[in-house]
Amino acid sequence: MTEILSASVLPAILFLTGLIVLFSDRRAFDSFLSGASDGVRSAVGLLPSLCALIVAVEMLFASGFADFAAEALAPAFGALGMPPELLPLLVTRPISGSASTAVYTGLLEKYGPDSMTALIASVIMGSSDTAIYVISVYFSSVGIGRTRHALAASLLTMLVTIALSAFLCKLFFN
Amino acid sequence: MLGKSFAAMVTISFVFALVNGRVASLSGAILDGASKAVDLSVSLLGIMCLWGGIMSLLTYSGIIKQLSRILRPVLRFVFPDAFETGEGEEEIVACVSANALGLGNAATPLAVTAMKKMREASGSDTATDDMVMLAVLGTSSFNIFPSTLVALRRAAGSADPYRIVVPIWIVSAVGCVTAVILCRVMAPLTRRRPK
Repeated sequence: MTEILSASVLPAILFLTGLIVLFSDRRAFDSFLSGASDGVRSAVGLLPSLCALIVAVEMLFASGFADFAAEALAPAFGALGMPPELLPLLVTRPISGSASTAVYTGLLEKYGPDSMTALIASVIMGSSDTAIYVISVYFSSVGIGRTRHALAASLLTMLVTIALSAFLCKLFFN
Repeated sequence: MLGKSFAAMVTISFVFALVNGRVASLSGAILDGASKAVDLSVSLLGIMCLWGGIMSLLTYSGIIKQLSRILRPVLRFVFPDAFETGEGEEEIVACVSANALGLGNAATPLAVTAMKKMREASGSDTATDDMVMLAVLGTSSFNIFPSTLVALRRAAGSADPYRIVVPIWIVSAVGCVTAVILCRVMAPLTRRRPK
């Protein structure tokens, strides 16, 4: 049931866009095209930072550091029901979107996209954001010095979503 | 931020590889990484193009405005001060709607404008309750269709790339509620006492 629902979201959205183009004026499709070319531009714009970060992540795995860190933190992770391989993802997620995407694709490749590790990683990626980055952009751009509980609240929220991701994936996919 | 992450990862890897005697395998990893980045961008190109077009069309057709109208009563409760004074109200609604549709790039400038207006209204360099709320919600936003993740899973050869969508809905909805509750609970603790 949930699988059918998940797989119908995108076709339903395209059906909706088809209806919009049919029933509105001629400029509707032009706005689609201009948005699409913005999309191409941002995908191409991703390449330089992805290149740097994927290289760095590959180096972390090849040097043995990722295994070392995962092993060191394995007991704490096991207590939370979390596969220790997810550690690099959890560390990069709050800081940078491109870095965590690089780690995420590494996990997909290493463990297979339908493994429990990859499924949990996917849900974490989809339900959290680059908290530290977002907060620093939002506040520094308007000259706010005292951000009060912003960082603490968003990191706590992220902890809740991470724990729930692991729990729900085990519930859904076992 | 990006530069520092890169520098930290690269230098740590080199030192670690030296200690473990794995420097030789680093060079293969570097070349692999660079070509993987290209593969990844190519597999993202199509979906980002399509999604950008769809979102722009939804904005054009006024659906985003409708969504804002639906969200307004909820947001009035979440951002009481901004809705009372009207400072940043429009931008907050637009920003939350953009986030919900996965328009991260569009949400950031809207959030910054909302912040600017709230900052002018408060006239201090300390964040107000509503500013913190907007920032924390911005870090835990609900996302209706995780297009990038589905594309990446598909590129990795997943048998069912869509499997993750419903769990993501549940987790991100809970995340948003958690964010609102945490902000409400923590706000009085960090408020500066009047002199």
